Amino acid sequence: MTTKTKPVATRKLTIAKAMAEAIDQEMRRDDSVLVMGEDIGKLGGVFGNTGGLLDTHGPERVRDTPISETGFIGAAVGMAAAGMRPIVELMFVDFFGVCMDAIYNLAAKQSYFSGGRVACPMVLMTSVGGGYGDAGQHSQCLYATFGHLPGMKIVIPSNAHDAKGLMLAAIRDPNPVIFMYHKALQGMGWLGTVPGSIVAVSPEDYEVPIGTAQVVREGRDVTLVGWGLTLHHCLEAAITADADGISAEVIDLRTIAPLDRETVIASVRKTGRLVVVDDDYLSCGVAGEIIASVCESGTPLSAPPVRIAHPDIPIPFSPAMEHFVLPNAEKVSAAVRKVMEKKQ
Amino acid sequence: MSEITIPKDLWDDDSPGVISTWFFEDGDTVSEGDILAEVMNEKISFDIVSPATGRLVVGCAAETEVTLGQVIGRIETP
Repeated sequence: MTTKTKPVATRKLTIAKAMAEAIDQEMRRDDSVLVMGEDIGKLGGVFGNTGGLLDTHGPERVRDTPISETGFIGAAVGMAAAGMRPIVELMFVDFFGVCMDAIYNLAAKQSYFSGGRVACPMVLMTSVGGGYGDAGQHSQCLYATFGHLPGMKIVIPSNAHDAKGLMLAAIRDPNPVIFMYHKALQGMGWLGTVPGSIVAVSPEDYEVPIGTAQVVREGRDVTLVGWGLTLHHCLEAAITADADGISAEVIDLRTIAPLDRETVIASVRKTGRLVVVDDDYLSCGVAGEIIASVCESGTPLSAPPVRIAHPDIPIPFSPAMEHFVLPNAEKVSAAVRKVMEKKQ
Repeated sequence: MSEITIPKDLWDDDSPGVISTWFFEDGDTVSEGDILAEVMNEKISFDIVSPATGRLVVGCAAETEVTLGQVIGRIETP
């Protein structure tokens, strides 16, 4: 049996390659799709997510830009108003300061201010997350900074299958979508990659609907909520919990805005316990928002909910200090034990 | 049988690279032209393409160091 050839090979992709495949397929299908950003053309993206697009689609539609996010992200808002579907890359989310007016005052409000007559079908791809010693200006997540502002959708895949489906859904959406991708999952060898993010990806056209979380592991005793990298911490902690006789349910949020509160609440209604894992700053964060939503729903709880997040300090440069403050599977396991202490 | 080799001219100098990822499992049936693996040298990724159609035998695990010209696996044809 062991030497038998497997009949059907399932091709796996990294998140980087899945994003590039989705963009390539949509550019073939829809002439109005174009890509702009720093090093997205000749280099194929610093994080590999636009590889091959320049060769296939040419410099008219795949444009390397100068280092001016103010300029090319502002241009994208105008292009979207004029009927194009620009995909722009903000290389690190940390750089949002120089282009936030275009994002939250122009793109996010275009439909509202025009009474729905002018849409803004643009995608902003941006890398998030630390863990590789790139310090306080290249390691932030800022989920809540963007999730707080109405008018934009925010997605973050934890694996290559979702990355492709969310990208196709994002490009086709009539409103601005911020497509965040975590550097620790991207599949770039120099960053190290969580193997669980590299999964089988269908070559077909499919969408993962924006705004839907997914129960990726069923359980009875405690609900663990993660997204992007933290989803993988939750999955690891769930395996540890299993060994201790604790059955953990794991939810992959997949979208930060609009938040799929219903899926989380339904799970906690079953388990009565909640741990949320967020690698963004603690205060005013997505983890706090999820816990508040569950509490407001009146769902009976067997233990106070726990959130694990980055403390309210800049992200340290020293790897020893950085890993001390970042969430990890061990911290999630400790939180699981804490919420399980009070049995009924 | 075809060998899967890191092309001798994939990058400019004789520095080592690292296999980042295999996109198929050992024993999978693959087609000529499929991207089998990704190799990284100095932060640049290179695709390794299947030289034939057949059964993949992985010779070097992901995360291992490789050099130009090295055989990293083979395709067994029926």
